[in-house]
Amino acid sequence: MTAARNGFFQRRFDAWLARRLPRVERIRLDRRSVFTFPSRQGLGLVLVLVLLWLLATNYQNNLVFAFGALLGSLMVVTIFHSFANLAGLEVRILGVGAGFPGDSLKVEVEVSQRGRRHREDIWLSFPGAVPQRVALPRGEQTAIVTLFIPARRRGLRPLDRLTLETCYPLGLIRVWTHVLLRGAGVVYPRPIAGASTAGGNTGDAVEGSATTWGSEDFEGLALFRPGESRTRIAWKQLARGLGVYSKQFSDPVADPTWLDWHSYPGLDREARLCRLCHGVLEAAAGDSPFGLRLPGSESTLGRGEIHRDSLLRMLALFECEGA
Amino acid sequence: MGPLWQVSRGGTLWLLLAVVVTAAPLFRYLPPWVPLVPLLAVLWRLGIYRARWGVPPPAAKVVLILLCIGGLLASFKGLLGLEPMVAMLVCAFSLKLLEIHSRRDALVVIYLAYFVAITLALFSQSFLTGLYISTALVMVTAALAGIHQDDSAHQPWRPLLTAAAMVAQAAPLMVVFFLVMPRLGPLWSVPAPASAVTGMSDRLAIGDITSLGRSSALAFRASFDGQLPERQQLYWRGLTLSRFDGKTWEPFRWGYADGVVEWQGEVSAWWQREVELRGEPLQYQVTLERQNGNWLYSLGASKPLTRSTGITQDQTLVSLTPVTRRFQYQVKSWPEALLNPHQLSPARRAIELQLPPGGNPRTRDLARQWRSETPDPDALIARLLDYYRGSFYYTLSPPALGKDSVDDFLFTTQQGFCEHFAASFVLFMRAAGIPARLVVGYQGGELHPDEGYLTVRQYDAHAWGEVWLADRGWVLVDPTAAVAPERILGGLLGAMSLDEVFANSPLSMARFQNIHWLNRLRLQVEALEYNWARWVLGYDSVQLEVLARLLGKVDSVRIGAFLLAGAVIALLPVLLLSLRIRGRVKPDPADHHYLSFCRSLARAGCPRQPGETPRNFARRCAQRFPASAEAIHAITDAYEDLRYSGQGGDPAVLAVRVTRFRRQFRWRSPVLSS
Repeated sequence: MTAARNGFFQRRFDAWLARRLPRVERIRLDRRSVFTFPSRQGLGLVLVLVLLWLLATNYQNNLVFAFGALLGSLMVVTIFHSFANLAGLEVRILGVGAGFPGDSLKVEVEVSQRGRRHREDIWLSFPGAVPQRVALPRGEQTAIVTLFIPARRRGLRPLDRLTLETCYPLGLIRVWTHVLLRGAGVVYPRPIAGASTAGGNTGDAVEGSATTWGSEDFEGLALFRPGESRTRIAWKQLARGLGVYSKQFSDPVADPTWLDWHSYPGLDREARLCRLCHGVLEAAAGDSPFGLRLPGSESTLGRGEIHRDSLLRMLALFECEGA
Repeated sequence: MGPLWQVSRGGTLWLLLAVVVTAAPLFRYLPPWVPLVPLLAVLWRLGIYRARWGVPPPAAKVVLILLCIGGLLASFKGLLGLEPMVAMLVCAFSLKLLEIHSRRDALVVIYLAYFVAITLALFSQSFLTGLYISTALVMVTAALAGIHQDDSAHQPWRPLLTAAAMVAQAAPLMVVFFLVMPRLGPLWSVPAPASAVTGMSDRLAIGDITSLGRSSALAFRASFDGQLPERQQLYWRGLTLSRFDGKTWEPFRWGYADGVVEWQGEVSAWWQREVELRGEPLQYQVTLERQNGNWLYSLGASKPLTRSTGITQDQTLVSLTPVTRRFQYQVKSWPEALLNPHQLSPARRAIELQLPPGGNPRTRDLARQWRSETPDPDALIARLLDYYRGSFYYTLSPPALGKDSVDDFLFTTQQGFCEHFAASFVLFMRAAGIPARLVVGYQGGELHPDEGYLTVRQYDAHAWGEVWLADRGWVLVDPTAAVAPERILGGLLGAMSLDEVFANSPLSMARFQNIHWLNRLRLQVEALEYNWARWVLGYDSVQLEVLARLLGKVDSVRIGAFLLAGAVIALLPVLLLSLRIRGRVKPDPADHHYLSFCRSLARAGCPRQPGETPRNFARRCAQRFPASAEAIHAITDAYEDLRYSGQGGDPAVLAVRVTRFRRQFRWRSPVLSS
């Protein structure tokens, strides 16, 4: 909706909205923040009302007048019901996920109320996202809605305005708001394969032991410590009466991989980040520990998904606006 | 925008119900095949709902549409008109029912249903119809709510409850809108619902009124400002019939507008010249049921007070348009006024003396003979009435008459109803050379004991004569009064037995007038219908009066203020109900007492820390206030019992302990904290 009309009035409206509803941590919807107008269906009923008025006038029929007035009043009463369905809700962002460009970022929105009012048929949407419906049946105070927003460019992606709207209970009146909430998704660089000039394994050799405790190769025996798995008890030694020992294994450690900003000369920043991203993903798929060196910052060595994600995050936030 | 909105199963059922309720009463007014369309559609839809049948194939839909169009073209002359329009709408929303895929399709059905439900008011405006339409609107609103609500298995009635509550909340505002909404005249002429109406027609053949005499259908109601006239003065003039072709009587000219001498608001020279006002005027309001023509009923020389009504030379009150719906008008009448007292124009005289070329020779001979014997018109009239009084008999079942009906009546059968007497009287007078004419209308009416208005029914239909006498103008002569004075004094029911009147309608309410409580009930229902007709259906004619009484003066500022204030007052309950956004969660009584205990300790400088258990808190406080240690532990024990033992218990114990603690602690704590 916002993208469709980009004229003068849209800009004025956006500016007005920015003043009226600035970005906040959480918002409680009230008269100030909620807008009310007949929905398209409501305008349909207005058409029916006009026809009824013509009918009543031409047939000079006061009963038709009366029932036309009843339908009109019903529409007015609906304004309050629809408004009350949305007003009083509190909205905040619980968390925003991360992803690559073209992915969908998961946004968790908490919708809550202090009272016990029954609320139904409230739609939450971000521009470009599939709307989600939420209800707070009588007595329930919190609901969590998960929305997915498209990830576009690398960097921090602050949330767009979240639209909450409802036409409940009769669909005649649309009550809505566009709230701007704190929270931003992280968009990683797009992974692009590319050979580095210096190769991946250069850098300082890792000092000390080149193994870590693992499960692959038998290393030796050690005194059993309570808490160790019983499958590791060296039964043979125990049977010989030598005491309780446990078998120790180790994993062979490959050379660590350092992914370095300077390995890609001649490329611009984004292109380098894309290559580095690809490198991180490759390294994470392998066995060896890996790390990342960027101008001005350097990560630790590590393995596993958490480490990978923290490196991707470093890449995403590198020299980006708002980081 | 958004996903495709599905219609829930619950919503579908409410939709079907709404269609049935909306369409059901219209079948009285529409061709008999029309009900089959919604019936078929609803059954088919139910089949789809129960997954027995599939959605009709496109070919079937096309066939149905063509059948409907064919039916409409065959049943109605043209498609312009009320019945074809309503029949078309009924067909349209029935067929749409078969192809509801989304919420939007359902909305089309719902909006059409709203419209069709209200068009019922064009066919019937009774109080019961009003109630029915209200119910139908609630049902349609339930369908609207149903398609917007989630299905909920344990609350299948939720849409209906929502709808009923919202319509009830809308009702006060409706009253405000209804009172204030400006009423305009018709913007263009519209075809009226065509169906037979019991009542007087614009021509009279002998026997017509006799048949009306057996109907207790309502003709009109009248309420008088001030004193009600005597019963024998209540001659409600309808039409003046001057033309006689030997068989039927007709008004001299059809097309009253030609003869109208004064529309409402005008003062005509004719009226000034030809009407001599005498006696006290009567002012009254008549609520006329719909009838076959555009004439109205009044009491003698009248001035119309309602827009687009007028009065003709022969004192027929007429409306500009036919009375195709209930019509309310006000009149001022002078029953004692003299009409054409000075002279009758030669043309008019010829009209009022007109006789058919032949027929009824014995009557004509007798009239000429009597005139020569009794030249004084008054004496002649008295002689004829004496003749009636002598051997005639008043009955609702008169014997059949031959070709020379007046001859047969006067000389052979001598049994008749009012029309027999009136028609023979007028013919006799004309034959005797005295200008005379027949007047049809109603006589009398039933006074409602509580509400003070008159109800005039079809069996009050009456015919009487008028003769023109020099210096006195037109004089009313009612030969029926000579034969059956009790008819005029006590109404038809006084003159005849109930069985005779209602021989054809054994269940008519009016028949049971002798059973006291039933009669009370009947009068109550009639009072309701009357007030309904006067204040709701006829509101446009009293709107200014009502607003003037409510506001003191009618101007735009006051109306605006009334609208605003009325809307606010009417919406106040809704405001209070719906805007109570922060509905407070009522704390558990145990929590409530315990929290007040915590507050007093906090005031003493020992607030409970976040996450601190009651037990730990008690230990800490007991150390700080050793004198109250016992009470603190006792309260904590009681609270933990209530909250966590799972056996419930009496919060009153806790309440007493907390109260006692707070009372003692308040004067002890300063000492302790010092």
